[in-house]
Amino acid sequence: MLLTILVTGCGENEQARPAIKPPTQQEVKQASPLVPQQKLAQVTENTRQTYQWYCAQCHGMKGKGDGINAKFLTVPPRNHTKAEYLETRTDEQLFEAIKFGGLSVGRAPCMPAWGHTLNEDAIASLVQYIRELCQCEAL
Amino acid sequence: MKNLAIFIFSGFFFLPSTLANAGVLKDKNCGSCHRLNATEKSFTGPDLHYAGSKFQPEWLSAFLKRGEVIRPAGFITDPGFLKGPSENRPPHPSFPEEEAHALTEELMSLKIPRQTSVTSEPLSKGQRAKIKYQFERTFSCISCHQSLNLAGKVRGGISGPSLVNAGNRLQADWVADWLNTPETYTSKGRMPRYKMDPATLIQFARFVMMLKKENIK
Ligand code: HEC
Ligand code: HEC
Repeated sequence: MLLTILVTGCGENEQARPAIKPPTQQEVKQASPLVPQQKLAQVTENTRQTYQWYCAQCHGMKGKGDGINAKFLTVPPRNHTKAEYLETRTDEQLFEAIKFGGLSVGRAPCMPAWGHTLNEDAIASLVQYIRELCQCEAL
Repeated sequence: MKNLAIFIFSGFFFLPSTLANAGVLKDKNCGSCHRLNATEKSFTGPDLHYAGSKFQPEWLSAFLKRGEVIRPAGFITDPGFLKGPSENRPPHPSFPEEEAHALTEELMSLKIPRQTSVTSEPLSKGQRAKIKYQFERTFSCISCHQSLNLAGKVRGGISGPSLVNAGNRLQADWVADWLNTPETYTSKGRMPRYKMDPATLIQFARFVMMLKKENIK
């Protein structure tokens, strides 16, 4: 699974690609080492609106991974209501996936980085909102 | 003659030039959906108050003659946007040659200052491959925008405007400015913000300008 992600792009299945590497998680971390106190984050009306405005275009209005872009992506958007998977990810991992994009946590590049769009409090509250959607916590 | 009339009219009433320009656009009620003036607050279609800085006139004319779907899922504020493309979406109003021409002329006069200047020189093969890779992976553009793959096939998500014909539709400088300072053009889009270094920014604009529908295979 991971291997296919590594050899394919996001919108297609070509093999050919140039030898340019995206920033590694390590590099991205060095650029911005702060991870705030995520447990303190609250889910507000604003969090839900942010999710609907930005995330729902891929993850779907209810977070089921069925947004309007979903069927055009080589790797489907994560279903945020699936506890079995999300239990295996820590809040920090979810935070980083949102802030730095899918590639930064070894996931598909189809998941964009939101770190220049949303501030850390907003991202931390989105992590908590996803915890609400899956009704789960990190194991 | 018409220009003369507008000139006299605007001079007489001391109207700001943007308002004085609202001739055919006003007649055709384009402002009922589009923002034609920075002071307007509500609109249900793409912002056109900087149309003269964004579009190529040949494309505008052709679009106004027979319409074309640019945003497969509709405009970002449509109530049904997140529900996906709707079968019964009304086609865009279209116009005979002469009117399309007059509308285009007026749209092209709606300009705002630009910040970046992008060469019209196409990217080299290597640069193009590099940016294509970033388009798909580093910046995930393809997740929301349709574009063309190396085999000339349409690929990509549909929540953003299609870029399949962007090289005929947009101005290169505008593409760079949009990526650099989207807040100049929209108070709130659904696209993530990027911080690209100036060289990458310009290469992205040049890459987008190489996407043309003639290249669909
Ligand atoms: C352009 C489409 C797209 C948008 C918009 C998008 N995502 Fe994603 N997201 C994806 C895809 C595709 C994946 C799956 C990556 C994988 O499984 O490798 C994903 C995965 C995730 C994951 C799981 C990462 C993991 O560990 O598997 C989280 C959390 C997430 N997205 C949150 C968000 C949030 C919050 C937003 C809104 C700010 C958002 N996404 C917007 C496409 C998108
Ligand atoms: C009923 C609402 C409505 C009216 C009236 C209307 N438009 Fe549009 N227009 C739209 C919508 C919605 C789109 C977006 C279509 C798409 O992206 O697929 C659009 C797209 C456009 C575009 C392309 C914009 C872009 O970013 O791609 C131009 C140019 C345009 N309209 C010009 C006009 C002109 C000129 C008039 C008046 C003659 C007009 N429109 C009247 C709703 C309208």
